[in-house]
Amino acid sequence: MHIMEGFLPAGHALAWTCISAPFVVAGGRSLRRTRAEKPEARLPIAAAAGFTFVLSALKLPSVTGSCSHPTGTGLGAIQFGPGLMAVIGTIVLLFQALLLAHGGLSTMGANVFSMAIAGPWVAYGVWNLARKLGASAAIAVFLAAFLGDLATYCVTSLQLALAFPDAQSGFAGAYAKFAGIFAVTQLPLAAAEGLVTVVVMNALGQLQPRLKGAEA
Amino acid sequence: MSLAIDRLSQAGRWRRRAVAEKSVLALGLLALSLMLPPWPGAALVLAAAWSLALAFARIPWRDWLGLNAAPLGFVLTGAVTLLVDLGPGGAHLAADGGARALALVLRAAAASSCLLLLAATTPTPDLVQGMRRLGLPAEIAEIMLLTWRFLFLLLEAASAIRHAQEARLGWFGPRRQVRSLGLLIARLLPRAMDSARRLEVGLAARGFDGALPMLSTARPASRRDLALVLGGQTVLAGVSLWLS
Repeated sequence: MHIMEGFLPAGHALAWTCISAPFVVAGGRSLRRTRAEKPEARLPIAAAAGFTFVLSALKLPSVTGSCSHPTGTGLGAIQFGPGLMAVIGTIVLLFQALLLAHGGLSTMGANVFSMAIAGPWVAYGVWNLARKLGASAAIAVFLAAFLGDLATYCVTSLQLALAFPDAQSGFAGAYAKFAGIFAVTQLPLAAAEGLVTVVVMNALGQLQPRLKGAEA
Repeated sequence: MSLAIDRLSQAGRWRRRAVAEKSVLALGLLALSLMLPPWPGAALVLAAAWSLALAFARIPWRDWLGLNAAPLGFVLTGAVTLLVDLGPGGAHLAADGGARALALVLRAAAASSCLLLLAATTPTPDLVQGMRRLGLPAEIAEIMLLTWRFLFLLLEAASAIRHAQEARLGWFGPRRQVRSLGLLIARLLPRAMDSARRLEVGLAARGFDGALPMLSTARPASRRDLALVLGGQTVLAGVSLWLS
């Protein structure tokens, strides 16, 4: 869920950029190391970023219709790992702002935190935990994608509530308002993305056991 | 398959202007829209961005309206929450009568149009090269340019798969939609990896050393124009602070 350009006040936009920066720099460092060791890895990484961008251009079936698309957060975290997803996600968010006017430059830090850091880490953690607890692959994939999406949605609501506290009930009231209004689109969307990701992982499993090129 | 913003930026009237001039203009206005008080600061920025885009960059007004409408949907949904207050007695209309919501819509509309002014006049590879000159690591710039190259190929592939599925009634009913979209994504990922592998082999055979020059015909920035832009922004800031 993208926060649009200019929606956050300057101070909040700057603060979220500072919070996200270390994750992206760490991801960039590991990207640089990977590239020095395996120069052939850069094309799969670029392909993964292009793939994530294209996902956002696809429409997802959902009750509210028009403005819903998969974030690819869960799929990306399972396939490429959450560390690399911080860099891939940042590049994708920049291109979404510049090519689709979706999201923005000043709100980039906040969007990177919710979509390229919080979502992938939650999805990755859930995936590993569910596998350890003995859940079947389909259930683990569904939970990872579903909860990864929900984490993104909760973080975005939190960011908006911090920026625009309610005049009477403060932060808690504002959080209830933002979470309530976006739940209409985001809950069915998260469930749909969970189901789609299961279909994707099943089909990928039949196509080839594991995408070796993607393990950069 | 092409994207509207990319089409406009590649074929537009400001295509050959220096990246530095366009970025200083658009990003400076963007910063002003965030820092000045929404009234009259953001309103002035909004007027400046729209007149620059329509009268000087000559972006067709239909395209410009369409581009601006998309972000406004989210902005309006978000602004609705500022219209109501949650108190002990339940929700009721905000005490300030929506002044905060209006200010937010004004600021977001101004900032979005500044972003669009940059995006619709400057092709993305030019911007990546500009960031490279400002110190973006070469590895990241390379990945970004490769990503840019890939995403149009993948958009094309995705729409071809989608057409084939629709022709077989694959998008009829919600259950089929979930399945079809899953299959589409699952076909697209190996396809992306496969074309990456083939590109790698092809580039390696031609002695690829990491440099990926892209055609860029931009002129160097003119000092006169930069001074004009900065002067105009100072005047705008001054006027809005004086009026508020």
